[in-house]
Amino acid sequence: MHDFTVVVGVKQVPDADEVGLDPDTGRLDRASAPAVMNPPDRCALEAALSLKDAHAARVIAVTMGPPMATPVLREAVAMGCDDGVLITDRAFAGSDTWPTSLTLARVAEHLDADVVLCGEETTDSSTGQVPPGIAAHNGWAQLTYVEALDLRPEEGRVVAHRDVEGGYEVVAADLPVVVAVAFGSFEPRPAGLHRKLFAETEFDPRELSAADLGIEEEVGLAVSPTSVGGMETVQPVDRQGEVVDEVDDLLGPIREAVA
Amino acid sequence: MTEIDPDEYEGVWVFVEEHAGEVMPVSWELLAEGRKLTETTGQELVALVIGEDCEAVAEAALAHGADRVLVADDPVFEPYRADPYGAQFRAMVEERKPSIVLIGGTHTGRDFAGRVAVPTHAGLTADVTEIDVDEAGILQARRPAFGGDVLATILCEDHRPQMATIRPGVFEAAEPDPDRTGEVERVEVVVAEDETMSEVLERVVGDRADITEAERIVAVGAGVEGDLEPARALAAALDADLAATRAAVDEGWIDGSRQVGQTGKTVRPELYVAVGVSGAIQHVEGMNKSGVVLAINTDPNAPIFEHADYGIVGDHAEVCHELADRLSGETPELIA
Ligand SMILES: Cc1cc2nc3c(=O)[nH]c(=O)nc-3n(C[C@H](O)[C@H](O)[C@H](O)COP(=O)(O)OP(=O)(O)OC[C@H]3O[C@@H](n4cnc5c(N)ncnc54)[C@H](O)[C@@H]3O)c2cc1C
Ligand SMILES: Nc1ncnc2c1ncn2[C@@H]1O[C@H](COP(=O)(O)O)[C@@H](O)[C@H]1O
Repeated sequence: MHDFTVVVGVKQVPDADEVGLDPDTGRLDRASAPAVMNPPDRCALEAALSLKDAHAARVIAVTMGPPMATPVLREAVAMGCDDGVLITDRAFAGSDTWPTSLTLARVAEHLDADVVLCGEETTDSSTGQVPPGIAAHNGWAQLTYVEALDLRPEEGRVVAHRDVEGGYEVVAADLPVVVAVAFGSFEPRPAGLHRKLFAETEFDPRELSAADLGIEEEVGLAVSPTSVGGMETVQPVDRQGEVVDEVDDLLGPIREAVA
Repeated sequence: MTEIDPDEYEGVWVFVEEHAGEVMPVSWELLAEGRKLTETTGQELVALVIGEDCEAVAEAALAHGADRVLVADDPVFEPYRADPYGAQFRAMVEERKPSIVLIGGTHTGRDFAGRVAVPTHAGLTADVTEIDVDEAGILQARRPAFGGDVLATILCEDHRPQMATIRPGVFEAAEPDPDRTGEVERVEVVVAEDETMSEVLERVVGDRADITEAERIVAVGAGVEGDLEPARALAAALDADLAATRAAVDEGWIDGSRQVGQTGKTVRPELYVAVGVSGAIQHVEGMNKSGVVLAINTDPNAPIFEHADYGIVGDHAEVCHELADRLSGETPELIA
C-alpha cells in the first residue's frame, strides 16, 4: 500500500558539457550534442526518492517530450522510481511554458499526485517557470529553491527550507504541493545494479497523449503566449587572453584597471 | 481559451520586491528601465507594492521614477508567500489591465512571476538582458539562449500582460529624487489569511550583499577549497568586494547573495579577479561586462583564461598572497 504519490518532472536536454564546435561556423553546435537528463532534475529525483525512503510513497517520473526522450525515464527508474510516464503527442509541438505546465498539471491530477517534484530550471530553456506554472494551473501550493524537504503526513503538509536572498526560510505548505529543488542541494544517488538491469530490459514507460488528458485544444503553438521574434548571434566579448609568468606582471594591468 | 483585446491594456508595471520594508535594489533598476519604456509609449509607469506597512516603500518608489504606486497593504503579505501574492496580483491585473510587467529575477521574483503568468495567461520571458518597446506597445524582450551564443528576441503579441524577469545588476538604477510627486493608491486586498496554503515558520536573513554596484571584485570558485583567506587578503588590498561561483556558494563557503552568473547576479566592475574559477558559461554570463578580467588557476587549460585579459597559472593561495603583499605597499596611491 502506498500512502503518497510523488510525481517527478524530468526533461531531456542537450549535454551542455559535450556541445562541440561546428567546424564550418566555429560556433557551438547543439544539434550534435548527446541528449541527457537535465542535471537539476537528478536533484529532484533524489528528493523524491528520499521521501520514499521515509514514507510509503510511490514515485513516478514523468517527461513531456518525443518518444526519443524515453532514456531519461529509464534512468529515473534505474535510480529507484516505481514507474515512468511518457507524455507524448504531436499536438504538443511549439508549446511554451504555459501549455507545458498545463500538461504537467493535468498529469499530476491524473496520477493523483500529493507532491510534484521538479528541478530548479532546465539547462536548455532555463526559465524555472514550469513548477510555479503547474502549481498555478491546479491552484496548489508551491515551493521553489528548496534545499531540504520533510513530508508531515499527520499535518497534511510538507515543511521545506527555501533558499532566499541572503538567507533561508522554513515554509510549510499544504498538500498537494509543487516543489522545485535548488540545484546542488540533493546529491543524486547512483543507480542500483538490479534496478538498472530492470530499467534497461523490462521497463516500458506508460504513454499518455493530449487526448488521454482531455487537453487537445489547450496545448501547442496556438495557446503559447510567447514566440521567438528573432535571433542574433552575440559577439563574444573580446579579451586579451594573455597568460603571464610572474605575479609582478599582473601589477601593471591592475593599476591600469583601477586608475 | 483566453481571447483578449491587447489595446485595452496600458502602462508599465514594476513589481517592487520588499521584505519587511527593505527593498531589493533590482526594483529600482527596473523602475529606471521602465521609465525608458514609458517614454516611448507615452503611458504611465506604475510601481506595484505588496506587503505590510509599506508607506515608506511607496514614497521611495515615487522618488525612483514611478508616476503612480499601487499598494496592497495587509499582514497577509508579510513575509512573502507565492499564493497570496499570486491571488492579489491576478485580481489587480484583471481589474487594471497593464500592458507590461517587469519583475526582478531574484528567487522571490521568479517564484512570483511563474505563479502569476499562468492564471492571467500572460507571456513571460525569463532572464531578459535587453528590453525595448515599439510604438504599438509590443515588448521586445531579449535574452541569451544556447549558452549565451545568441540573443533571442521573445515577443508576446496576442496576450497581456507582457511579462519579463530581469536579473539584478543588468540595468542601472537612477538617483532617487525625493521631490518627485505622484499618486499613491491603496487597492482592495482580495486575500484572507484562512485561504492561504502556506505558512512561513521562520525566516533567517543575514548577509544580503549588493555586489552589483562593486567597482572591484575578487571572485572565488571551487578551486579555493574552502580557504577564503587568501582571496580576502587580496580583496582587502584592492578594496574589492568578495563574490563567488555557484559551486562555492553550494559548498556553503559564502552566501548566495554574492553569487555571480546566470542564476546569480550580473556585475560590471572595472576589475574582476577570478580565483580558482573554471569559467563555466553560466558564470561568465554574469561577469563578462567587467572592465579588466584577471584569472588565477592551476589548470592552464581552464576556460576562464579565454574569458580573461590576463591570467596566471598557479595556486590561489600563493598568487593571492603575493599580489596582496605587492599591492598593500602601494595601496594608498593605487586605490586613490
Ligand atoms: C542551471 C544552472 C545554472 C547555473 N548558474 C550558475 C551561476 O549563476 N553562477 C555560477 O558560477 N555557476 C552556475 N552554474 C554552475 C556552473 O555550470 C559551474 O558548475 C560552476 O560555475 C563551476 O564553479 P567553479 O568554477 O567554482 O568550480 P569548478 O568548475 O570545479 O572549477 C574549479 C577551478 O579551480 C581550479 N583550481 C583547483 N585548485 C586550485 C588551486 N589550488 N588554485 C587555483 N585554482 C585551482 C581548477 O583548475 C578549476 O578550474 C549553473 C549551472 C546550471 C546547470
Ligand atoms: N517537458 C518537461 N517534462 C517534464 N518535466 C519538465 C518539462 N519541462 C520542465 N520540466 C520540469 O520543470 C523544471 C523547470 O523547467 P523550466 O521551467 O523549463 O526551466 C525542470 O527541471 C523539470 O523538473
